[in-house]
Amino acid sequence: MTGLESFIDERSARWKRLSALLDEVQEARETELGRARLQELVLLYRSACTDLNRARTLTANPQLIGSLNQLTGRAYRFVYRRRRSTRMDLKKFFLRDIPATFHRRIGFIQLAAAALLAGAAVGFCAVLSNPAHAQALLPHQFFVERPAARVEQIETSKERVDTLREATAFGAYLYTHNIEVSFLTFAFGALTFAGAIFLLFYNGVILGAVAAQYLADGAGTFFVAWVGPHGALELPSIVFAGAAGLIAGNALLMPGDSGRAAALRDAFPAVFRMLSACAALLVCAGLIEGSFSQLSARSVPYALKIAVALALFAAMCLWLFGRRETE
Amino acid sequence: MRRRTVVQSPEHVLIELLPAGLGTRFAAFLLDCVLLLGILSLLDRAIRLLPHGARDMVSVTAGFVVIWGYNTFFEVRWNGQTPGKRVLGIRVVDGRGLPVDLAQSLIRNVVRLLDILPAGGIGMLSAMLDSEHRRLGDRAADTRVVVESQPAIPALEALAVRRFNSLRTLRVRRYVEHRIGVEERELLFSLCLRAPGLSEQARYQLFEEVGAHYRARLGIEDPHLSGESLVRGLAAMCAGLETEPPPAAPKSTRVRVG
Repeated sequence: MTGLESFIDERSARWKRLSALLDEVQEARETELGRARLQELVLLYRSACTDLNRARTLTANPQLIGSLNQLTGRAYRFVYRRRRSTRMDLKKFFLRDIPATFHRRIGFIQLAAAALLAGAAVGFCAVLSNPAHAQALLPHQFFVERPAARVEQIETSKERVDTLREATAFGAYLYTHNIEVSFLTFAFGALTFAGAIFLLFYNGVILGAVAAQYLADGAGTFFVAWVGPHGALELPSIVFAGAAGLIAGNALLMPGDSGRAAALRDAFPAVFRMLSACAALLVCAGLIEGSFSQLSARSVPYALKIAVALALFAAMCLWLFGRRETE
Repeated sequence: MRRRTVVQSPEHVLIELLPAGLGTRFAAFLLDCVLLLGILSLLDRAIRLLPHGARDMVSVTAGFVVIWGYNTFFEVRWNGQTPGKRVLGIRVVDGRGLPVDLAQSLIRNVVRLLDILPAGGIGMLSAMLDSEHRRLGDRAADTRVVVESQPAIPALEALAVRRFNSLRTLRVRRYVEHRIGVEERELLFSLCLRAPGLSEQARYQLFEEVGAHYRARLGIEDPHLSGESLVRGLAAMCAGLETEPPPAAPKSTRVRVG
């Protein structure tokens, strides 16, 4: 028996035992495993660490070092994993964690909102000063009919959505689509930072240009009443998705002194909370857009729709920015 | 060669994360897609049982949740593995070698939206260009996809051989220590470990060829030593199996190679 041979001979039983224990914990839950076996696993992990270090000095054998490395890595992932909270406290998450994050990251939200508003201002002014600019700014599907003709058609024909089934189906289509769009905005922001600002600005331009078209055609009130009820939640949601992208992109591209990994870890909870808030708001907005927003003035007067829009926006602001708490 | 991420555990042990190959990952992705389609079609059948009024909304919402939630659900639940990844023995881990958490899994799967853009081109390209094979989503979430399968602990019987005196000279020992690099050692080991699986003819030729090379290189003149015995003897010396001093050597020259 020589050094390496006896080393493997002595230790391989422990390695096999550790591997078997890890297979077990992968299948079972921690509580089912029992204290004794958990303690055994941790002890075996420590000894595997020592063995890996010893093997590296004893030999260059790639197979032995490789298999010990994999074994130690698996055990490390188990021993140092974060304890999973048994149940997520949804009330605390929505009422405390999310507002705290919005409060702490207000700068990114302001930046994202500024991009959207700047775009809206540019689009609005450009089209108002010269309606021909709309041709250049807007995609073609916006030009099927004149705003006034569309208002006329909506206000005189049958209600577009008249059953609950249609309303919910249309709403579901809208919110799934909008959540995907906000995810895309987030992804662009997370990878490029400037991409999110560009997308927000571009969305703003379209919004501003369409608003200006309706205003120039004398249908300004109609536009606010038509877009307002869902827009009050939908537009902030896209801003929040963009802000989440900016937070992640900031950590990825400008991590600062503590390093990229640390900056990203710091950003993850904020990103997750903002995207959750965004998705929740978009579900509400989609359901409103599928039903209430589609109603014509014969069912609901414009004033009421605008009042609802203002109330929704105020409620959202109260939820997200009402409390002054820090994380 | 794929670069390995090295993490240092609190025990001051360096653990290497071996990145999974792109082919393996793509195969896992395809498997997951097939499974996802299966789930969606089952879901579709189940939804037809619902009352007419709620059907459309439930079907749109459920499809959305399943498509977006599939990867994240399994990655959080199964500690970084989806069914496809489990079949292929790969796992998503955090950049520090720990399990992924919910936020990371969500981020890497949301950014997948960009990774799959032109038929998966962007993700493939970025993973190919990255030394640690991270696609864009892995960069944004600081995750790695690593190989999980564990190579067997080497059977030492494959190396244990009769000792040959023509190899147990100080000169050969010195040459083994100074002239055989790490890659060559790995070559010798893998040749010995693979030998039982080779055909007789191939085994003989391969060992004779490699043996002739080392015979010339290390100046071993013993004509009775077969190629295989020579290679196995050298491999055993490299592994540190042959640590006893050669007969004539004084104690102080004892060397351990490896």
